[in-house]
Parts: sequence; structure tokens; C-alpha cells
Amino acid sequence: MSYLDSPRLHFRGWFQADVSTINNDVRFFQNASFVPEYQQLNQNDKGLIQNNWNPEGTGVFRFLDCAVTSLDGITVQNATARAPGKLVDLDPQQQMVSQIWGMQIRLVDAAGKTLVQGEYKPAAFTNLWLRQQDEGLPNDQQLAAVYQSVIEGVQWFDISRFPLLQSLQSATQAGQLSINFNVFGYSRNNMVPRYTMGHVVGTIGPYLQGEPKQFVRGRQFIYTGNWPVPAGGMGNMQAKVSSNGNTVTADFGNSFPIERANSGLKDIGQVFLGVLATNPPTILSTVSSGQVALIGEVPYCTGGWYDRTAGVVDFELNSNARQLIPANPLVVVSPAADGSYTVRLQETIDGQYMRADNFVYRIDPGQTQHIEFYADRFGAPIANATINLSVTQGFMGGAGGGKTVQPVTRPRAAIPAIATPADAVQWPTSVTADNQGHATAPIVASAEGPGTPRGYLSSQIYGIGYQLASQPAGYVSNPMNYVSILAYSKKEAPETPTWYRDIQYLFTQYGNLYPIMGRYVVNLADYHDVVRRISILELAFSLPIEEPDHMPVTRDLGAGDRATILKWLRSRGPDGLPPLGTPSQSPPVPPPIVDEQAEAALPELRPEQAAGKTAVLLNLEKRGRIAPFSQKGPSK
Amino acid sequence: MIKLDPQILTKIQLGGLPDLRYYLQKAVELEHSTIPPYLTAMFSLKPGVNHTIATLIHSIVVEEMLHMTIAANILIAIGGRPEINKRGFIPEYPGPLPMNIGDLIVGIEAFSIPLVQNTFMAIEEPEDPIHIQPPPTFAAAAQPSYATIGQFYDAIEKKILDLGSDIFVTKTAPPQVVNHHWFPPSKLFPITGPEIACAAIEIIKTEGEGTSTSPFQSGHDPAHYYKFGEIVNGRRIVRTPNGGYAYAGEAVLFDPAGVWPLKPNCKIDQFKKGTQARTRIERFAYSYSTLLNSLHDTFNGHPERINAAISMMYDLRVFAVSLMETDALAGGGLTVGPSYEFVDTAGGMPG
Repeated sequence: MSYLDSPRLHFRGWFQADVSTINNDVRFFQNASFVPEYQQLNQNDKGLIQNNWNPEGTGVFRFLDCAVTSLDGITVQNATARAPGKLVDLDPQQQMVSQIWGMQIRLVDAAGKTLVQGEYKPAAFTNLWLRQQDEGLPNDQQLAAVYQSVIEGVQWFDISRFPLLQSLQSATQAGQLSINFNVFGYSRNNMVPRYTMGHVVGTIGPYLQGEPKQFVRGRQFIYTGNWPVPAGGMGNMQAKVSSNGNTVTADFGNSFPIERANSGLKDIGQVFLGVLATNPPTILSTVSSGQVALIGEVPYCTGGWYDRTAGVVDFELNSNARQLIPANPLVVVSPAADGSYTVRLQETIDGQYMRADNFVYRIDPGQTQHIEFYADRFGAPIANATINLSVTQGFMGGAGGGKTVQPVTRPRAAIPAIATPADAVQWPTSVTADNQGHATAPIVASAEGPGTPRGYLSSQIYGIGYQLASQPAGYVSNPMNYVSILAYSKKEAPETPTWYRDIQYLFTQYGNLYPIMGRYVVNLADYHDVVRRISILELAFSLPIEEPDHMPVTRDLGAGDRATILKWLRSRGPDGLPPLGTPSQSPPVPPPIVDEQAEAALPELRPEQAAGKTAVLLNLEKRGRIAPFSQKGPSK
Repeated sequence: MIKLDPQILTKIQLGGLPDLRYYLQKAVELEHSTIPPYLTAMFSLKPGVNHTIATLIHSIVVEEMLHMTIAANILIAIGGRPEINKRGFIPEYPGPLPMNIGDLIVGIEAFSIPLVQNTFMAIEEPEDPIHIQPPPTFAAAAQPSYATIGQFYDAIEKKILDLGSDIFVTKTAPPQVVNHHWFPPSKLFPITGPEIACAAIEIIKTEGEGTSTSPFQSGHDPAHYYKFGEIVNGRRIVRTPNGGYAYAGEAVLFDPAGVWPLKPNCKIDQFKKGTQARTRIERFAYSYSTLLNSLHDTFNGHPERINAAISMMYDLRVFAVSLMETDALAGGGLTVGPSYEFVDTAGGMPG
């Protein structure tokens, strides 16, 4: 069971992602070349750092004005007695798996009483695509994505007036709920009210023990075309056939394009869900009326449809469709003038789909973690499936999202190579699923960790690609389906940590990249200011990673580094303060192993492109890692 | 000077345990009510300048939090339940502070010398301020019939002693907040009986007003009234050779350019939904309400949540920044100031 099962409720409103932007370029992590100008707000191509559109970002991710559209007066809200959640990139060289941490989700009645409450299990977005068709306002984020996870530790309060919530409580298991929400219409323009905000439309439904948490085992539609621009004009989606075979529930929530941020869904003509009469070995672009059994029309142009349903539609199946659906791909089609149908989206070839549930890992030296895989064909488990694992760099590496820095960093900051040394993180080359199509693969970090191959960063990133051994030729995969790993460097906390030897470098780096903290709370580059704020720093560094106020907010320091910081904050020299040490103790920063391809290929970006996710994509395009795609820039 | 209705003293004197609890809740409200104006003045100081002033105000805010904690602990100790997360807990700004019947109106404003002199010093003014050379220009007009905060706390102390140890509950009360990560054991300790409760109240009185013979609450740390005096007079207090005191120490510099020009007494409703000003002032007010919710939990059975509350204090500092950078569209280059309205829904965008 998942948010696609019943009962479910839908919500719509706004979200804020107040992310900070200086860490969008890996080169700014080099302290030796950092200058204060890199902290200036800059929404254009003038100045040192182009499109540094939110240097004082707090990292906060939160819902606002979110109303449950199927229950009058009920709202979806975040924590009411602690800090809001945080949106966190895995790494400056992997910004395509940003996760939400520490976000509490509550359903609240009209009188402000909490009805249901739980914790969003940290999960990254996926299915990024160029959803907003019109360029809109300068610095509009035309890309959109979807988050799916579970709400854990669910507490139910007085829900006696709400039969829907009561049936949700009895349907769900393991103290969890399934949640899925689509984010779009985000703005990076500090002159518009939407600055750091966008729309959210989502669904909450039951969770069943043993099911994956970040996707639905069912029927998956992956678009073709030059990623992230779908050839059929619609984004990836998933659907599920009911256990009795009578109904299919499809989620179009992240699939229909929008014209502009606030325009609602774009009218792209009639759209139907259907099922093919055969199981073709390719992705089709058109089908004749005889090749497809239409299941139903998607009423997406009906007023309020999207708000009311979050794009989730139940279709009753007629006997023909019921017969076809277990062994033939679903399609999303639009009628063409000649009586045929244009295929906008098609279920994966042969209905095969295998995915890692969680695909983002942070791992300390000597640690083992596990990837959970689920393999299905037309929504049914592939027993004993063989899953092959490989090295990939996915969308990782490069400078990150930055444009050429003018002038270049002084001294020049090299763009580190990733995934080196290769043997610091190991995993099997293949695993076999059980009879339910479920497989587990260990990720093992070596006891010594990766060292510091990136020089000015105390970690390394790795990617694992995965595919079914049985995957048919010509299979279209989701390019976002790979596993990203941040492997922390090893650090033994010394007997007596000192500021100069163990703390100054990390704190200075953090203060450079997150000036909201350094300017207004504690100047992390200054020993004397730091020791005035020992209590709050000790609290923040000792909070579990799940807590919203965990430091570092970026969750990019390993256990060794954090233990050293805590030990230092708790130790006292003769003057009653954490030991300062001497400048001569400052360890030299090793030069990074350089990614020569990334260095050579730094693209020249238009200013409106040189920001975050968009720039990452253009960077990848330039380096030949994705096919060219066109994002329209502002005309003026 | 905060002036209380003298009848309050009578009610405490003649009343029983319920009245004592009622007025300790009022004490919690009064100690809290100084935090929003002080915090706003501190937030409005831009980083890098006016550092000494910010440090002085910060030290006062921390002590007001301690006083609020002490009052709440005493209330818990005698079987009461501090109520913190309700609309009426935060006074209406601008307006009188809780229980005050004088003409002192306290608002939410950016830092200025007149604000400190006319409002903050008036809040903290002792009954008989010690003469400091040169004297603060502020002069209190004599009023015939009022009671002082000092008398209020004296009356509470006396009542606690009168009622004796029987009113102190141990098993039925939620745990008190005794967290030595944030406050030293000399200042924050469990309230277990009448004498120790009175000792704790003396800390509130001394930190706020000093003693009758010295402006210092301890060592060289002046009481609140005199710290604000240092800001107004631009000098730290020192002892003079003749046994008196003078604002003649280290300079307390004020750079008027280093202050955000906040529109005074901003309220959420003054800003249109869907504007940056609106979402930011709502975020601040919601976060402040979140802080009060976490404090309420802290004082009602979950003392460990003091950590979440303190974290929220720092979050507020950070959320104030974008707010104070936002044009209030009020002319004169004024920017949006914080609002301390109790808000239970995160919002601000059009429906």
C-alpha cells in the first residue's frame, strides 16, 4: 500500500526552500582562495560570482498555506514546537539528490488542534523535468520534481470527527504513512514574492510494511527524449493496478506541464490512459486505435482538478482492459487528427522496472549500509531477479552549479575528481532477489576511508549504477536511477584538539559558505567569537542528524570530524576555554586530484542559467554527459 | 518604572495558594514581556558595528529568560502549570507590560538611545536608583499610589514563607527546568522549599535592579537598569575614589548607521498576502509562537525541550535578517520589523 491506495487525502499550497547558494560551486570550499565578495547577493552576471541568488539562505524547507483539499478546514503543517525542516544537497558535486531533513508533518484542524503528526523520513527528489514551458519571470526555476517518502512515528490524536482519518489509521501499518508531493513554480528572483518559494501539490495515504518507501511497486512510465525535456511533453509517472485487477490508479501529479509558475496546468489537448494490445519491444511514438484500449480520459482541464486530486486518478477497467493489463504496457496518449494516437508516455519496455528504494547514502569509514532493490514486471515481482551493479558518475562531478568565476579564485581552486580512490567504497557486482523480487546490496566503506582526494573537502562521492540482468535491449531507463554515496574521510579525535590544528579550517569553511550563521549568530572564523558561543555550538553539534538544527546543516561532516569538534568544544585549557593551540599547528591542505575533463569543459552560461540545478544540467551537457536540451531563458 | 496596582500586594497578602499561583503566572508573563522589545532592539543592530551594545542587551535578554524560568519553576514547585502558549500570554505591543498601571507604553522598535533611555530604563528602574555621575537624564515623576516590581516580589516571597513548605509538591508537579548547560547551578537550581524559592526570587530582583547600595548585581556586572544606563551614557560604570559610581569607564560606542531602520510595531495584517513582507513577518511570528510552544512543553513535563527552545531563539535571529532587509513600503526607507503575535498556522501566500 502507498499513497496510491485508499483512503488518501490530497493537499495543495506553497513550500519554501530557502537554500543557500554559495555552496553551489565546489571551488568556494577552498578557504585559501575565498574572498568576501563571494558572499554578495547577485542576481545577474555582474560581479565576482554570477547568480549567487540567495547567499544568506537558511536551508529551511517548510510548507505554508497548505490545505487538505478533500477535508474542509484541515491543513498540512510542519512542527509547531521546534524548528522547520532543512533542504540539503548531498555534496557540491552532487546537487541532484537534495533531501529534506528534520521535517515534521502535521494534519491540523480548523481550531489549530493537531490531528495527526509524524516525521518525514529524509528522502531526495526525483523525476526532475522541464515542467514550466514558458520562461516566465527572470530566474524562474522551470524545472520541477517530486518527493516521495514515509511519515514515521505517526501519532494519532482526536480524529473522532473525521471518518477519512479513522479509516486511514486502520489501513496504514508500522506507525507510518506514505507521502508524495510535487514541487513546481519555484522562484530564485529576489524581486518577486515567490522568491525561495513555489507550489506544492501532494497526497498522503497508507503505508504497508515491507513496501518500498520512496516509490510505488507498480507500473512505471519513464519519458524518452533529451533529458530533462520529455519527447511526449509529459513527465515521469507511476500507476498501480488494484489487487482484484478492477482498477488502476495513476499519478499524473508531476506529469502535466505548466505554462507559467502560477498558471496552473497547461492545456495540451485530450489525454487518455490506455493499455496496449501487445507488448512491443520498443517505446512507440504513435499507435493506431486498434493498438490501444483506452481506459479513460484524464480530466486535467476541469476546474480545480489538480488541487482536488493532486493528479491521482482512479480508473475502473472494462473487461478488455482487465484482460490486457497484466501483460501489456500502459500508455498515456492524445488523439491525433488522423484517428491514431500520439504516445506521450509509455510504461517501461516489457513492464520491467527495478529500483533502489533509498538512493542517497552518507557513510563513515568502516561502516556498512544496505541498498534495498525491488524488481517487478508489469507490477508483479520478478522472483530471483539478477541485479547488476556498476560504477557510474551519474549527474555527479564537475564544479557543481557555478559559472566561471571572474576573476578566478585566488589561488585557483581546482575542480576535484570524484570516485577516487575507487576501493574506498565497495559493493557487489551483482545481487540476486528473493522470490518477492527484493534484494539487498551492502555498501562497505573501507576502514581507512577515502583519505582526502578532494583536498579541500574531507569526503569523496561515489555512484552506483544498477540494472536488471534481464533488461531488454533498447530499454529506456530513468537517468536519475542510480545510487549516490558521500563517503566521509577518517578523522581520529586527538587527545587534545586545538583550534588551529583541528577546528579552524572546518569552521572557516562553514562560515564562508553559510554567512547567515557567521554574520548573525557566531563568526566561525574567529576563535574568540566561537568560544563565546560554546553552549549553542555544543548543542548543535551533538544533535542527531535527523534533528533540524543538527550542525553542520549540510550534513557533510563525518563522525570523526564531528567528534573532534565536540571534544574540542567540551575541553578546557588553563584559561577555562577550549584550547587555541598555535598557528604552526595548522595542517597543510593537500592539493586535490584534479578532474581534468571538468576543468577543460567549464561552460559559459547565460546569467539566468548559472544557478543551481539548471547550471548542473548545462555543465553535464557541456561535458557530454547528457544530450543537449534547451531551456529557454528570459527574452529580456 | 513599572507601577503595579497596590491591590495586587493586598491580594497576595490576603489570598491563598490559588492567588499565589495566579501571580506567579503573572510574574512569568511579566518577565517574558520584556524579551520581545529587547530582542528586537538587539536584532536591529547590524553585525560588525555596535558590538558592545549588542552584547549588553544580549546579556540582559539571557537573564530575562533566566527570570522567566525561575518564576515558572516556583510555580511548578507549588503545584501550578505555567501557561505559555496561548494568545494572551504575549502582551499587545505597543501597550503596557503585564500588571502595569503606569503610563509606560512598550513597543517593538529598532534600537535607539531614546528607546533605551525612555522605555528600557523605565522598565528596569529600581524604586530608588543609585546616583551615578553623570546621572541618566531620565527622571521619574513621583506617583502617589503604586507598587513596584520589587514590592511585588517581596510580597510573593512573604506569602511563600507564610504558607510554608506544605505548598511545595514533589510528586504531582511536572519536573522543573534545571539545565546547567544554559545556566550555572548558582543561578538555576531546583525549588524545593520556601527558603530556596525566596533565594531564587532574590536573583530576579538583584539582576534586574541591583542592590540598594550598588548598581552591580555581582562583581563588575551591572544590573539591567544600569547596563541600559551605560548604553545611554556611552560609558561603562566604574567605582569612583569617593565610594560612588560614574559612567566613566570604557566607551560604549553607538554608530547610528549600524541599525536597521525598522518600521515600529509591525503587525502581520499591515502587509498584503503574497508579498515578501507578509511571508517574512508571518515566518517570524510563527517561529516566535513555535518558541513559546516549545517553552510551554519545557515547563509542562518535558524539561529536555529547553534545547529545542534555545535553538529556536537562534533561528529567530536568523529569520529576523531577511525580514529586516525587506522594504516595509511605508516610505522613508523603513524596513519590516518583527511581530510577536501568536500564530498557529504557517502562511502568508495567497490561497
